Amino acid sequence: MIPEALKNFDRFQDVVKEMEICRKYGMDYSLEKGDVGKFINRYHPSSLDLRMAELIPRTLDTKTIRLVSQDGYLPPFQAGQYISVAVEVDGIRTSRPYSLSSPPNQTGYYDITVRRVADGLVSNYLLDELKPGDLLRTSGPEGHFYYNPLFHDQTMVCLAGGNGVTPFMSMIQQIVDCGLERTVYLFLGSPDLGQALFHDRLTAIAARHENIHYVPVIENPPEGYKGRGGLITGDLIQQVVGEVSGKTFYICGPQAMYDFCLPQLEHMGVPARKIRKEAYGPPLRVWEQAGWPYAVKPQDAFEVRVKGGGSFSAPAGETLLTSLEKNGLLVPSLCRSGECSQCRVKLLAGKVFQPAGTPVRRSDAKFGYVHSCVSYPLENLEILL
Amino acid sequence: MHDYDAIVVGAGNGGLAAGAALAQSGLKVLMLERHNIPGGSATTFCRGRFEFEVALHQLSDMGTPERPGTLRTLLDSLGVLDEVSFVSMEDLYRVVIPDRLDVTLPVDRQGVVDTLQERFPAEKEAIKKFFDLVYGYGLELYSFYRNPGGEVERFPLLKRYAFRTAGEVMDEFFQDPLLKAVPGAYWGYIGLTPNRLPFSYLSLLYVSYIEMLPCHVRGGSQSLSNAMFNRFLSLGGEAKFNCGAKKIVVRDGVATGVLTDRGEEISARFIVSNASKVATFTDLIDPGEVPKAIFEGMKGRTPSPSSFNIYMGLDCEPGEVGITASTTTILPDEDMSDRHFNQMRRLDTENSVMGFSCYDVADPTFSPPGTCQVALLTLRYAEPWLRVPPSQYAAEKYRCAEAMLRQMERVCPGVRDHIEEIEVATPLTFMRYLNSPYGAIYGFEQYMKDSLFFEASRQMPIKGLYLAGGWVTDCGFAPTIKSGVSAAGAILRQAG
Repeated sequence: MIPEALKNFDRFQDVVKEMEICRKYGMDYSLEKGDVGKFINRYHPSSLDLRMAELIPRTLDTKTIRLVSQDGYLPPFQAGQYISVAVEVDGIRTSRPYSLSSPPNQTGYYDITVRRVADGLVSNYLLDELKPGDLLRTSGPEGHFYYNPLFHDQTMVCLAGGNGVTPFMSMIQQIVDCGLERTVYLFLGSPDLGQALFHDRLTAIAARHENIHYVPVIENPPEGYKGRGGLITGDLIQQVVGEVSGKTFYICGPQAMYDFCLPQLEHMGVPARKIRKEAYGPPLRVWEQAGWPYAVKPQDAFEVRVKGGGSFSAPAGETLLTSLEKNGLLVPSLCRSGECSQCRVKLLAGKVFQPAGTPVRRSDAKFGYVHSCVSYPLENLEILL
Repeated sequence: MHDYDAIVVGAGNGGLAAGAALAQSGLKVLMLERHNIPGGSATTFCRGRFEFEVALHQLSDMGTPERPGTLRTLLDSLGVLDEVSFVSMEDLYRVVIPDRLDVTLPVDRQGVVDTLQERFPAEKEAIKKFFDLVYGYGLELYSFYRNPGGEVERFPLLKRYAFRTAGEVMDEFFQDPLLKAVPGAYWGYIGLTPNRLPFSYLSLLYVSYIEMLPCHVRGGSQSLSNAMFNRFLSLGGEAKFNCGAKKIVVRDGVATGVLTDRGEEISARFIVSNASKVATFTDLIDPGEVPKAIFEGMKGRTPSPSSFNIYMGLDCEPGEVGITASTTTILPDEDMSDRHFNQMRRLDTENSVMGFSCYDVADPTFSPPGTCQVALLTLRYAEPWLRVPPSQYAAEKYRCAEAMLRQMERVCPGVRDHIEEIEVATPLTFMRYLNSPYGAIYGFEQYMKDSLFFEASRQMPIKGLYLAGGWVTDCGFAPTIKSGVSAAGAILRQAG
């Protein structure tokens, strides 16, 4: 039904002719079935089923789990990124993020390096139960903790605590393997030398490459120890790296390390934009944080009703994500530190505690969307999954 | 008996609007969304202390409470107007050719003419006549829309200009190529360079943005999405997140339900697909159930460009780095020929047309105090990105972003020293999140043959199936929301 007037517009016939020609020789979209998924899966598969190739002991309580692809292809990543490992332990389906400790130029495998944790659910399962040949379901590489050439300095000052050295191991190996023009100062905080992960390899790399500086900092050094002792203080950093300008700082370690080191960096005059922080799990003893209501005890249990499906009881001191998983409700999760937003759920009723600084969007706060991995029930809740 | 009256596949603007409109009329509606939040493109994301706007640059057709535009009226009818607040922008846009041209157009017809006349005094008369045409044409277009009947003499301007490109019309009026670059810079909103862009769209852009004011949503487009979804819920709508549609079930030419990616089959009398038209018919419906006419009809259409975006959080106020307008276009030169069109088919971003938005200019509360954010982008077709070996992807991404930052620095000196957060999105990123063919961000292209005079009929050869979103007619916030309301309207008429 073309209006008469339109037919009399100048060039109408030309346009109609063009339309006909394009219809005749144009694209056959029916041939594109599945194309988008095919291209995207090379980067961001919804999950990977990797085979454990090797278990490599590192320190007394850490081992590297080497994972290979079944079809030979692994999605690329940037040194510093992590994968999330999905497991079922004691009937609970859950996941944990682990930084890749192998460098991205090593395309044959992904390494994750896992430390035994007292009462650790997943770490200990991976170390004790998983055997070479077993399959492990993981996410693709994720995370934003990597060197960004658009605005980071070529000199990196890396502060690692304990297992927090794993992303730096990946970065450093890539730098030396690929001959990248970058300089690294790595400070590794460890209770003792024996627990300093990758100590021997880092020592050897630093001895061979003048752009890699490795500084283990031993909290309780034995008598006569010649290296650095105590904590990673601003003074110590400044002694080693000199001027702070022209350097980007990276920090990855347990919560206590952030609490201690970040004020030191601020005091040294490092601007916020020069400090890159890796997410590192939900807060320990969240009920001791400012803002936690005095009346609520961590063991207090609240009822969580899921819209359109059942309810369960959840303790205030445990993340909503963990309680969901313990009750057989699977919510996607990656970083489990409040950052990636994969585990977002909508609160329809009730209140949760969220640690200060959790990056929720302004309208999410208004409309009740919370990151369940860092949300703690303070009342009975109703949620939408 | 069906499980639901209607299932909405996808909670983008189109799906949300359709869902809310259907629920408002008392239908039992289920919304499925593969992501964990509503919004689709209309969303924001956090990095550090910044919340980045993904898609919205300027909202069109809002108008004022006293003189409401289509979009305001629609949002009002959906009952979400009270949940969202809007900020209007004081400038239409700024165009810069480094060292040669720097013009900011105000949101005012006379102001636009005055600004251009002052900068190009030799073409004073032509500038006035050009904007008389832009407005006169726009008015004829509105009356043609309302009633296209009668003789062609009713539409003298449409008769002459309807099938001319913006470039041709500017050539007719203007001499100075720098002057032509100013209206020409608007092409990025549609994705076709001025020598291909139908003049109709240029006219509509000016008339609708000037008369209905360019706006932004306070708190970003996610606020609008969340408000629409909340409205849907409060009307009794049901929703499943992290739950995509694997298949739209069609039996004997009738859509009967949806198979979710969790493996449940849910039945409904009506299905609204907010997936792209291409994905709906190639990926979601069994090939044997798709009438030939659908692919025949799409055959002449081409997917729009995707985009290469850099989202930046700066630790300074916009003015400190020379950002003076909400929307800025940087042109490498006044060339309006095929060169820029061809550039969209390349990986390299060197010397490209690029634009950036800074929401903090109009709304200083958009980013944390003392900071601002910039969304810098250049339109790009996805094809070359599909050929980059995955192992080289990050390096290419940084190389292209680096070239854009260098070019931006010519207009905003020192911007690089203030970057606190940055995230780069390539056409592959858009492909991943939009699930659209070739990462297209504007739906199908809008050449003359696809322009508003020939909009495809909404009649669907599959009974019970309706489309909403940017692949139905035009792209953008107002058109996609409108498409959802229209789909709901068609369903309600059918449901009786």
